Amino acid sequence: MNRIANIFFLLGVLIFASCKVDPKIIEPLPADNLVEVIPDGWPQPKYTFSVNTISEDKFVLGRALFYEEMLSVDNTISCGSCHQDFAAFSHSEHKVSHGIYDRQGTRNAPGIFNLTWHPLFMHDGGINHIEVQPLGPITNTLEMGADINPVIAKLQASSKYQNLFKKAYGSDTVNSQKLLRAMTVFMGLMYSYNSKFDYYKRNENNVELSDAELRGYSLFTAKCSGCHTEPLFSDFAFRSNGLTVDPFYQDSGRAHITGLPTDRYKFKTPSLRNIAKTAPYMHDGRYTTLNECLDHYTNAIPNLTNLDPSIPTNGFQFSAQNKQDIIAFLNTLTDYKFLGDKRFANPNF
Amino acid sequence: MKNIIKYIPLFLLLTTVSCKKDKKDPEPEPEPTPAATTNTIKILFEHTVDTNELVLNQNYVNPNLDTFKVSTLKYYISNIVITKNDNTTFVEPESYHLIDVSNLSSTTISIPNLPFASYKSLSFTLGVDSTRNCSGAQTGDLAQNKGMFWNWSTGYIMFKLEGTSPQSGASNKSLTYHIGGFGGVNKVQRNFIFNFASTPANVSASVSPVIHMSVDVNEFFKNPTTINVATQHTQMSTGATAKMFADNYADMISFEHVHN
Repeated sequence: MNRIANIFFLLGVLIFASCKVDPKIIEPLPADNLVEVIPDGWPQPKYTFSVNTISEDKFVLGRALFYEEMLSVDNTISCGSCHQDFAAFSHSEHKVSHGIYDRQGTRNAPGIFNLTWHPLFMHDGGINHIEVQPLGPITNTLEMGADINPVIAKLQASSKYQNLFKKAYGSDTVNSQKLLRAMTVFMGLMYSYNSKFDYYKRNENNVELSDAELRGYSLFTAKCSGCHTEPLFSDFAFRSNGLTVDPFYQDSGRAHITGLPTDRYKFKTPSLRNIAKTAPYMHDGRYTTLNECLDHYTNAIPNLTNLDPSIPTNGFQFSAQNKQDIIAFLNTLTDYKFLGDKRFANPNF
Repeated sequence: MKNIIKYIPLFLLLTTVSCKKDKKDPEPEPEPTPAATTNTIKILFEHTVDTNELVLNQNYVNPNLDTFKVSTLKYYISNIVITKNDNTTFVEPESYHLIDVSNLSSTTISIPNLPFASYKSLSFTLGVDSTRNCSGAQTGDLAQNKGMFWNWSTGYIMFKLEGTSPQSGASNKSLTYHIGGFGGVNKVQRNFIFNFASTPANVSASVSPVIHMSVDVNEFFKNPTTINVATQHTQMSTGATAKMFADNYADMISFEHVHN
């Protein structure tokens, strides 16, 4: 139903936009409620907008940049190419990122939400601040393959961006800080805290969990929440969860950054919010379904280098019923309000 | 006639006023002070190979007797502190400077607003402090588009030396030294302090002193570790090897003289 409403809305926008004089500058969708959010009971975020203050114009600029293909070397790939709104900003049906010239990345594009709580970014934690995170994919030769200065030059030459930068910053001069901070306002405001589970926890809208969901929640609390800690459903620590090393990627994970043998094959614990929408799973997208993920944790895990001690070496031994119940619970973490939030949709459609 | 003469000064005044109005400066000018009490100190970095002037893309010989050319030499100088004879200090605000040998103007740092006095020492850091390595998108010399920021493992390249050597073990005979690492045992920032009490920098209304520093590229290739470019031709990540190079450049800058 939501989807149909969205389509009608988009149609409306398209018709409206087609009446405009300059088709390149499309009126922004309503950017209401652009404020920092700390849901009740959540920890303080790592990033606040105290220096990089929020404004609607910065948000509109950040949104245009997020969906801007000029950020790639050949003007074909935007951030939104691999971070799709309907998939909680993960890349639907793509094991790894799909970059310029049909190049394949080496890791799965994760969902984007609640970023201001992340202490470090990327699966290996190589990026230490939300504002500089976009530089990773923009410059990665397998993803967008660009250098930041040619990107700045392209934006500077565009009347659309001269306008958007002028509105956001009072001057049409483009620089890396303005670009990165506008993107931070856009992505940093992608909050997800309105799933069925959140309503249940907050006693809102008379939402109850089913018996299966409650059984799943109970199992989850006992077996999974040590790493996938509420309320963000991750503690963002780096771990080896027992995945065998893919012989093609040979990805050493966190050790790629720290150089420490004790960090080999460790990856950032992902949030499980919106997990039903962010398939495929794991840092290299090797599992297509949640059932496969739970099979991984159910079965005996070979004694791998740096296997996280919280994972029993003979697996969690989940029964078929257990798995069903846990998946029922995980499905309550889907935030349809966030998924359908038009403020984050591509403004060019 | 007399009346007209009477109006001339008024006319001139109006013209002057209108000229002032037209002169629209984009940058606000500092308030004019009745009598200046400060002046500028300049720090000039002169680059050499041993005692020869460094010219980019020209052949030199390093302590291992490898022949080499430098195509790029860039590094950060930060957190400049200048000490008066009475031991009080002047701390430069927002003190981050990218020295780029290919850009002559960047090799002189101008520090305005030094109170009139005699200054006897200078200290600074080669590199960028850990805080600014973790503070997100920056402007000026610290902006992320200066070719001095790692995007995949974020942090500043504090020191970048690139060039070629026929002895280089790299397939294209290149030399690529990107030295970074902002925290922990392998951090690569190095502090320098120079005392020149016998020839102080005398800042006054008429004197804007220039402190001449010498930066010897061959110090990068030796002491404590003599670099052999056949095997040590590329460094592009943090860690113990980056620290080794930093220990080499820790004595690469020396005080020459003060020009008052």
